[in-house]
Amino acid sequence: MEQQNKVVKIYTTPTCVYCKMTKEFFKKNNVQYEEFNVAEDEKARDAMVEKSHQMGVPVIDIDGEIFVGFDQQALKKALEIR
Amino acid sequence: MYDTVIIGGGPGGIAAGVYAARKKIKSALITDNFGGQSLVSADIQNWIGTKSVSGFEFAQMLEEHLRAQEGINIIYPDLVEKVEKSERGFNVTTKKGEKLETKTVLVTTGSRRKKLGIPGEKEFDGKGVAYCSTCDAPIFKNKIVAIIGGGNAGLEAVLDLLSYAEKVYLLEFSGQLKGDSLTQEKIKSDSRVQIIFKAKALEIVGDKFVTGLKYEDLETNQLKEIKLDGIFVEIGSVPNIEFVKDLIVANKVGEIVIDHKTQATSQEGIWAAGDATDILYKQNNVSAGDAIKAILNIYDYLNRK
Repeated sequence: MEQQNKVVKIYTTPTCVYCKMTKEFFKKNNVQYEEFNVAEDEKARDAMVEKSHQMGVPVIDIDGEIFVGFDQQALKKALEIR
Repeated sequence: MYDTVIIGGGPGGIAAGVYAARKKIKSALITDNFGGQSLVSADIQNWIGTKSVSGFEFAQMLEEHLRAQEGINIIYPDLVEKVEKSERGFNVTTKKGEKLETKTVLVTTGSRRKKLGIPGEKEFDGKGVAYCSTCDAPIFKNKIVAIIGGGNAGLEAVLDLLSYAEKVYLLEFSGQLKGDSLTQEKIKSDSRVQIIFKAKALEIVGDKFVTGLKYEDLETNQLKEIKLDGIFVEIGSVPNIEFVKDLIVANKVGEIVIDHKTQATSQEGIWAAGDATDILYKQNNVSAGDAIKAILNIYDYLNRK
């Protein structure tokens, strides 16, 4: 992915390992993302639950496409990372 | 043809991989994660040589150590689907369709969380039913939750949830808690915790999300229901041995029966180490040591052949 044309959001908690792994994966692949800490941010928490219909983190929103958990293959596909 | 295929990427698998590479055993390691069950641990304070390390850093340390070795083929992320007997050893097939032929196999696949197996559990997985309190506790801020299981993991989950939840029920099947007594004291002294003994979870109910838990009071045989928003299941674990169960002998709780001197299983050519085996103490350091024993015994076996 040379120039990122997708908007990436990630909903996290500070203690969640899979959130850290996902962010590490983004950094490694130069993916720009916006992070929402749902332990603090109640609005973000509600938005996350609304979007993903579930209550587990991480939730990743790539241009409105929702991913729950760190699924490297699925994220690679959505972000067109080879 | 490999000399050995190591299955699993926890402390056992990594220790085995490092030793296999240093012994110049032609090997492959297949795993879908590094770090094993400790990956989600907030702080590991008993990994010898390290005062304190998070599960995430622990996993990175293990992965780095393995990747620093030469001559081991790391197949990641992938899972083993089946191990079958072949003429010269074993055929290992992965979920992604890789096929490996090997003279020996070392199983270090550990275990996974046990589920309740009651109606509603699957349906509401992630919709109030959770298995990782470290990860998901903050989402239950000001909510009412129940932890099922009064062992150490259950007590830790109660503590995790107390930082956020409004009320925490702790359901235990037997008549007493089993975990660390210091943690027990901490929990018992918090007025937001209600411990329910002799409780058998029967059904998880809800609509979009969990709204309640039905359980049987085993003392009175009465059916009861609690209104709540979340349920964390902490009732122990089951060994990951499905892919090899037709070849080896396991005990009644599904642990691979091994020779504790050599780590050999009932099937010649297959060894096992760590939480998937019938060892008494499920510990990172023990898994690493036992997996090393296994590789050294595999090395002797290959040389004898």
